[in-house]
Amino acid sequence: MILAALIVIPLLAAVAVAAGAPARLTSLAAAVLNAVLTVAALMAFKTGEVGYQLAATLFTVLPSPDLKLSVGVDGLSLVMVLLTALVSLGAALASPSTVARGSLRLYHASVLLITAGAMGAFVSTDLFFFYAFHELALIPTFLMIGLFGTGDRRTAAWKITIYLGLGSLILLAGLAALFLNLGGTTFDMAKLTVAAQTTPMAAGTQSWIFLTLLIGFGILISLFPFHSWAPQAYACAPTPVAMLHAGVLKKFGLYGLLKVALPLLPLGSQSAWVLNLLLFALLGNILWIGLVTIAQRELDLMLGHSSVMHMGYIFLGIASHHLIGLTGAVLLMFAHGLSIALLFFLNGVIRSAAGTTHFDRFGGLAKQAPRLGLMFGLATFASIGLPGLANFSGELLVFFGAFKNVAAGGTLWLPLATILALWGVVMSAVYGLRAYRSIFMGQPGANPATVPDLTTTGLLTALVFVIPLLLLGFFPNLLLDLVRPALAALHG
Amino acid sequence: MPAYFLEIAIVLLGLGLLMVDAFATTLDRRLLGHLGIAGVAAVLAGLVFGVDSSASEPLWGFYATDTAALFYKGLALVCTLLVLVLALEYAPVLESYRDGRPGRRGLGEFLCLPLFLCAGLMWMASMTDLLGLFVALETVTITFYVVVAYMRRNLGSLEAGVKYLILGALSTGFLLYGLAWLFGLTGQTNLAAIQTVLVDWKGDTTPLLFTMALLMVGLSFKVGAAPFQFWIPDVYQGAPTPITAFLSVGSKAAGFIVLIRLLEPLLASPIRHAVLLMLGVLAGATLIVGNLAAISQSNFKRLLAYSSIAHAGFLLMALAAGQPAGGVSPNGVVALYLGTYLVMTMLAFAVLVIVRKAGGSDELTAFNGLSQRSPFLAFALVLAMASLAGVPLTAGFFGKFFSLVLIAGAGQWALLTVAVVAAACGFYYYFKVIRCMYWNDPVSEAPPLVFSQLTRVAIILLCVAVVVLGVYPKPLTCLLAP
Amino acid sequence: MAEIDNYHAVLLQLLLVIGLAATMLGLSVLVGRAGRRNAIKDSAYECGMLPIGDSQPRFSVKFYLVAMLFVLFDIEVVFMYPWAVVFRDLVAQNAMVFWGMLSFVGILTVAYVYALKKGALRWDN
Repeated sequence: MILAALIVIPLLAAVAVAAGAPARLTSLAAAVLNAVLTVAALMAFKTGEVGYQLAATLFTVLPSPDLKLSVGVDGLSLVMVLLTALVSLGAALASPSTVARGSLRLYHASVLLITAGAMGAFVSTDLFFFYAFHELALIPTFLMIGLFGTGDRRTAAWKITIYLGLGSLILLAGLAALFLNLGGTTFDMAKLTVAAQTTPMAAGTQSWIFLTLLIGFGILISLFPFHSWAPQAYACAPTPVAMLHAGVLKKFGLYGLLKVALPLLPLGSQSAWVLNLLLFALLGNILWIGLVTIAQRELDLMLGHSSVMHMGYIFLGIASHHLIGLTGAVLLMFAHGLSIALLFFLNGVIRSAAGTTHFDRFGGLAKQAPRLGLMFGLATFASIGLPGLANFSGELLVFFGAFKNVAAGGTLWLPLATILALWGVVMSAVYGLRAYRSIFMGQPGANPATVPDLTTTGLLTALVFVIPLLLLGFFPNLLLDLVRPALAALHG
Repeated sequence: MPAYFLEIAIVLLGLGLLMVDAFATTLDRRLLGHLGIAGVAAVLAGLVFGVDSSASEPLWGFYATDTAALFYKGLALVCTLLVLVLALEYAPVLESYRDGRPGRRGLGEFLCLPLFLCAGLMWMASMTDLLGLFVALETVTITFYVVVAYMRRNLGSLEAGVKYLILGALSTGFLLYGLAWLFGLTGQTNLAAIQTVLVDWKGDTTPLLFTMALLMVGLSFKVGAAPFQFWIPDVYQGAPTPITAFLSVGSKAAGFIVLIRLLEPLLASPIRHAVLLMLGVLAGATLIVGNLAAISQSNFKRLLAYSSIAHAGFLLMALAAGQPAGGVSPNGVVALYLGTYLVMTMLAFAVLVIVRKAGGSDELTAFNGLSQRSPFLAFALVLAMASLAGVPLTAGFFGKFFSLVLIAGAGQWALLTVAVVAAACGFYYYFKVIRCMYWNDPVSEAPPLVFSQLTRVAIILLCVAVVVLGVYPKPLTCLLAP
Repeated sequence: MAEIDNYHAVLLQLLLVIGLAATMLGLSVLVGRAGRRNAIKDSAYECGMLPIGDSQPRFSVKFYLVAMLFVLFDIEVVFMYPWAVVFRDLVAQNAMVFWGMLSFVGILTVAYVYALKKGALRWDN
């Protein structure tokens, strides 16, 4: 029931806010409650046990095909639930108490709906509702970016909606084909996994379905070349939406690949031509988008591009097909989610105070806003992959896993791709440190913009992210022990 | 009670109300509408609780009372109920386009005619004989000719009526010729008997193909399939809005049940592959035309017309699959889709009627800032648009999803690609409306939006239905299993 | 193929009809070209009356209403003829024969009463 509550609480809170309850208070209460319940779920979870725990079937939609609203978590889902709880708490703390235009109730209700959708997607053990809950975020995103965003918000809102709509429809087609080829009788993920192992599909069919799922999920994850919606959308979105999208909703696609595409299509995901296409695309993410990120002069666009770029590493972990690489990918998903959410939060603080995020307008901000500088520095180092913060362990495992696979008989392109991907670390160092230096160090430029230091609430919000990043940076096994059994079970 | 008592009850109700309208000259005509709604609700209750489908005499093979017939009867009754509510709401606009003393401008008949339409639709759902099918079809079509052109001083309405009459008569001619050929080839008018003859058809299939072509032309007009969809935008835009709603839902549902019943013998005959190919081509063309044309629309009523063409494309796609897949059958998916389509389209039209009444225009600009003028209506329309676009967790998703499953199961990848692109187009033009409501500010001196309590209750019920059916479509899945 | 022999007569009739129509039209074009034209020859022929006013004058809709209603009720009576012929034999088997025609006539009676009450047959307004 804990898991069902995780979905229901934000939904009820959204209804309450729409009906007139105090907006910010209700959304904060819902986020805190969700965080507490997630911690409870963590306590109740038995590490090392394989299969779905805390499972429950809420109701049966159709008897045939077997379609139920059922929930359950294994290690992988639990990590994602934890990520969602943390980011949604941060997003709720980052939400304003007044808005310049539009209705505050709409603002908070939309954020809560996006949270509910993300939670639902991660705790569902039914393929249909796994897809359906993610789509719950579509309309709130459209409204939020178009109404409350900054800059060229209308174009950004249309772009993200149409692109993600198309991506999810391609994904739907792939899921329908997957469902039909695995017997066409049930949507339950556990039963589908069993069916995939007992009656596997032909390798050719698997490759095509995997390609469709890769493109579908890929559009949702901003895989190169389907990435062009992301930077502008994140730059123009209001802060909580950017945090939730970059931090959580993007990871939905990666979670889908790990949970659905790889286990149910083992031959398809390892077929040479699909794998090579994936490697080519992820290198595009890392190298091409990395170079584009370096060229950015505004912080919000830079962060948008960098979030696209970091997806390349996670894809590399997935492409490695090695348990080390996969666990690294999951750790990196978690860490990146936290770090990019923190970065977007701080970006929002700067933008709402100064009205701009252009590097030329800032300089020496660390003297006026030391707390802001400290948090931004920690976030940037996390994003670069400095040891001591969680991203490092994730990236390390990804690179090791991808490189190691050649020894186990994987394709020879993988080590090449790994070597090229390593350059991404250099690139993220370049743009991350350059951003930090331009904004916080040196002398203020001509016509400087003033930014007050982080308030207590802001500091609290940042700590929500920084503490897990530091904790997992020093003790990554806390997370890895959760994830490893689930991934081992999923990938045999 | 036998099922045919339902139609008799509706006809008697209609005739009774007509007599009341003729004799009671000083009565407020809205009372007729309320009586009509109460009567239809009573008949609906009779359908749900009282019909004894096994014990009824089949009326010499003309009349079927299988689950499909009862389902579509229910659909027609619910549709009529909502159309009467909308008509009561639309009455001021209607009366402004007709002559006569105030209160004697024909509102009474306008509230009685949907009842006859309902009876015709209910008969169409049950008829298993060519003659009966045609008579029921013509009952509905001719009544529609009357109500589409009802607003006599509105040029759009008159133009819509003329266009519908001419094109409808032409397509009826094709349909009748096809029915005549079918009778000529098989010597039977009963569909079951026709199927028995066609299953064992030996020899040349050219006459069968010709018959299929004629029937397809006639029926494609009815359901609005490309390339016979030209009448839809103009007729839908010109007709009074409650009638547009009725056309969009009721006429389409009737067209599909007739299509399913008439194609059943042909699908069992040796030309099955040709029928499925034809359906596939029609579905693909309809999806492309409907969705692409809707993108550029600036008039909400016309946009809904093109959207109904697009939905007809998805329905035809489900039929083009031809075989069950993933635990669902094509006929069941069509029924589910039409049931959800009823709810979401009626919701969209309900909001349109209210906005039109207040602002005098069906353009998208009339919806500017609706979220500030009436958050209730704006939220209702968001639900309707999301459902029409096929956003999951709303009613409209199941239909689209199962259509895709059927097509994927039949291995028709080209049609699947077209459907995916078409559904993506849908996101744009349905969300255009949401944009107008939330992102734009209302025009200054926007008139207040007034609507009756009955309409408010109807809209609330429809909103609840859209959300509940999105996760729990059980009431509509009676035909789903193969 | 032997069935096509039955249709020779149809073909002949078709040719005759087309030939007749073509001859009439063709002759009028060929012969008519020779004559001189003036305004009076080209004006519309109205049985000797001078053509004045609208070529399509508006006339009262009551003519249309009466004609339409006449056709409808005439067809009702026409339907009663074959019914009357078979009635005596069929009614012994099944009373539906009677009730069917009664409901048909009844619905049309309601329509008639409605038309009367609404003034569709009123001639003097």
